[in-house]
Amino acid sequence: MKRQQRKRLGAVGGVGVFLLAAVAWAELPSTAVGSSAPDEGDPRVEAALLVDATQVKPGDPFRVGVRFRMDPGWHIYWKNPGDSGLETEIAWDTPGSTVGPLQWPFPHTFRTPDGFIVTHGYDGEVLLFAQARAAENATGALQLSAAVEALVCEVHCIPAELMLTRNVPLGPETVLDADAASAFDASHAKVPRPVADTGHTVKLALDTQQLTAGQEFTGTLTVTGPGGAPLPALEDDFFTAERISGVERVTLASAGPGRFTLKGTAEPDVPGAAPRLTGVLRLGTKASGYQPLAVDVPLAPMVAAAGAGKPVAAKMPSVKDSIAAVKPVAAAVPPSAVPAESPVGLGLALLFAFLGGALLNLMPCVFPVLALKAYGFTRMVQQEHGRVGAHAAAYAGGIIGSLLLLAGAVLAVRAGGASVGWGFQFQEPLFVAAVSAVLVAFALNLFGVFNVGLDGTTLAGKVDQSHGLLHSAGEGVLAVVLATPCSAPMLGTAVGFAFAAGPVTVLAIFVALGLGLALPFCVLVLVPGLAKKLPKPGAWMERFKQVLGFALLGTTVWLVWVMGGLAGVDGMARLLAFLVAVGLGAWLYGQSQAQDGGRRLGTAAVAVLVLVATGGVALRFDEAAAPTARASTVAQAQPWDAAAVDAALAAGQPVFIDFTADWCLTCKFNERTVLAREEVRAAFAENHVAFFVADWTRRDARITAKLAEHGRAGVPMYLVLSPGAPEKPEVLPELLTAETVVNAVKRAAECSPARRKDGSSILCAAGPMRP
Amino acid sequence: MKQVFTALALGTLFVGAPALADAEVGKPAPAFTLKDETGKEHSLAQYKGKVVVLEWTNPECPFVKRHYEADTMATTLKGFDAKKVVWLAVDSTAHNTPEKSAAWKKAEGFTYPVLQDAPGTVGKAYGAKTTPHMYVIDEQGVVRYAGAIDDDPRGKNDKKVNHVKTAVDALLTGKPVPAATTTPYGCSVKYKSS
Repeated sequence: MKRQQRKRLGAVGGVGVFLLAAVAWAELPSTAVGSSAPDEGDPRVEAALLVDATQVKPGDPFRVGVRFRMDPGWHIYWKNPGDSGLETEIAWDTPGSTVGPLQWPFPHTFRTPDGFIVTHGYDGEVLLFAQARAAENATGALQLSAAVEALVCEVHCIPAELMLTRNVPLGPETVLDADAASAFDASHAKVPRPVADTGHTVKLALDTQQLTAGQEFTGTLTVTGPGGAPLPALEDDFFTAERISGVERVTLASAGPGRFTLKGTAEPDVPGAAPRLTGVLRLGTKASGYQPLAVDVPLAPMVAAAGAGKPVAAKMPSVKDSIAAVKPVAAAVPPSAVPAESPVGLGLALLFAFLGGALLNLMPCVFPVLALKAYGFTRMVQQEHGRVGAHAAAYAGGIIGSLLLLAGAVLAVRAGGASVGWGFQFQEPLFVAAVSAVLVAFALNLFGVFNVGLDGTTLAGKVDQSHGLLHSAGEGVLAVVLATPCSAPMLGTAVGFAFAAGPVTVLAIFVALGLGLALPFCVLVLVPGLAKKLPKPGAWMERFKQVLGFALLGTTVWLVWVMGGLAGVDGMARLLAFLVAVGLGAWLYGQSQAQDGGRRLGTAAVAVLVLVATGGVALRFDEAAAPTARASTVAQAQPWDAAAVDAALAAGQPVFIDFTADWCLTCKFNERTVLAREEVRAAFAENHVAFFVADWTRRDARITAKLAEHGRAGVPMYLVLSPGAPEKPEVLPELLTAETVVNAVKRAAECSPARRKDGSSILCAAGPMRP
Repeated sequence: MKQVFTALALGTLFVGAPALADAEVGKPAPAFTLKDETGKEHSLAQYKGKVVVLEWTNPECPFVKRHYEADTMATTLKGFDAKKVVWLAVDSTAHNTPEKSAAWKKAEGFTYPVLQDAPGTVGKAYGAKTTPHMYVIDEQGVVRYAGAIDDDPRGKNDKKVNHVKTAVDALLTGKPVPAATTTPYGCSVKYKSS
């Protein structure tokens, strides 16, 4: 008895209450009490079967429960035990009466000292109870028995098993046991009540319309009191989630009165039903008194992750790997689009834009310009030390200015009702021609055919101020122009986000992108001494400059090829003719720089004349002349057509759609290195895949719409449709691997109705399963 | 310029480096090298090409005791092709010693190594919360299953589903793992207090 007394003192801490408890205890039949979880012979938990009535009338309700008393420091578990532990279980055997579901008071949250393991349960004393009702036809006495299983833990854990029984006599009236009833009432006050009963309103706004398997999700939970009353203050651990099928963990953080930031992680498997947010919320503080609420609101339907099952390289990613691992073009996560892939907030999108912009410098499209700029800096550092900052600012200004222009164009076109994507300007032949011309002129400039910004007669080495700055700004513009068809890691996510967002977001993200693109030079300027470490200029610089010229010509070759896709062989020839004229004009202008007076002006005029005349004649691109059914690198490709896709699906064929464009380097890379591979072709043939190419080289509203349907702002996009579940296409990652494609195609084929007959249990409608 | 590129490259590495998060299904398993109870080193990398089963264990935990009395682990392992599957027990209990593990291994008579992780670093890298907490890693080193050993936390069911067996069998036959995660049950891992 000494032990029990000590414990009761510890648990309730008052002599008066202690006496009451002792009285109640004394009345309990010996079969209704028990102890368990022996710890070297010393039981760590005592349990008693309590009833709130000493006599029950047949047909009347009563309450029955098990009161647990734990040794100090020991605890048992709530229905969701948390990271470890085990739900406390009470199995009732009650002939003559029915017992309802177990009522759980709001649980305490336990943490290991390092916070790594978080569990939920009860220490000290708890009464877990249920509503019961005696049968109308019950006679004699009610037999109540509870088989209790609990895991009792301090640091280590001991399983407890108890069998508690007692009889309650039936009689003409129900007679309450005042002591027991107050214990039940006290416990009942701690049981969270449904908000429907309390008058509170709970609203959940998720940031995405769907949960994606294995991905994190966020949202905002708003709780208002009855009649819109504000919520009282909260204490720590105010929210504990129940176990939610499909959700690994979910937490709430207070974000102002009545507002909570919700963060969660979806499980990698998609559950049968859409998950709901179920948990308990405790309003108030210890001082003010608590009001526990039961929260139960729908979360969102869950979808399988796109490209699920693609293993990521285990090693630390090198720059190249991270370029390969991260989605290059518009892994768009518009808040409005349904198939959101991973929730990206504005902050993250801005960060991605910045980092993506910085990484763009390393991409093949921009690198020549960057190298050019680096060359310029080397010269400048020696010649006019103090003006490096001004030039860096001009360069950054050029970049940001042209990106804002681009953003403005995007907004304008969008306002006009059309939708555009990243790199859309390359769908315009004149734009391609203009960029080619600039590149050729630039290359010739590097070869020394003519000078820009330097008057031939002025002293070499004295760079004219305004011209020099303009030159820097121009290089910034060129960097942007060339950057668009290339996409760096993280950039796609950011741009995808921007394209689906409001005007301010679009502008903000493009500015962040520009800052990132200009970063190398900002670093050069902001880090003192770094600029001085650039190699000393010398004869090598002249050669380096000329080599860079060839790099620019290489970029031109690609643009000429793009023109081929836009305007056919004729278009290519016209563009080349125009480029020759540009060369001639540049050469003439160079000649003029060596002359003086009227002859000089005359020669320059001839140069301009040549350009304008050739331009007028050559720059007429007939887009209709473009080859319509261009050969794909993949066998048996057919141009994309919604009706043809439906027909193939109806015939039981899996469908692979390649959304591509000639100017999209990532698309071309995928087509050559993955889609054209023997194993991929073999997998396509084996699974009778219908392969469609949706070519976005030129404007195509249907393709733009289809891209937007999947939350994308640009190409590439790869869709795999299964005849078993055509409404749920799988979107593959923008950088393909042979494995991804083969697996996706296999999955799609497995879902075809023809194959499902053989008892395959794959849930096609729920999306792709992981291999 | 070289410095700039180096800085950029380092920045990228930093950003791209995987955060020290739990072992997630579908992601590469955190690498480790641990000594077993005899002092022999085992690294995850050396078992590339095989399916690796990790069992977080603690011989003092009643759940672990129950499974060892029932020979759950040994029976499960016996059902696999020994050439293709490696079973590693990991003990992240702060007060565990190689001697204790060796004595336990002898008493229980199992063959697989008990990796010593008393500092708890590997356990925390995997996010192991309970004993037993099971992980199945495929031949490429990607986590394919994380959770409980079976669907019977209380050890009362006659018919239980052994999740580890299901996962390994699926991997060996090239099928998708039907349940990639389950809620692990048992005692908490007794990590060193830090």
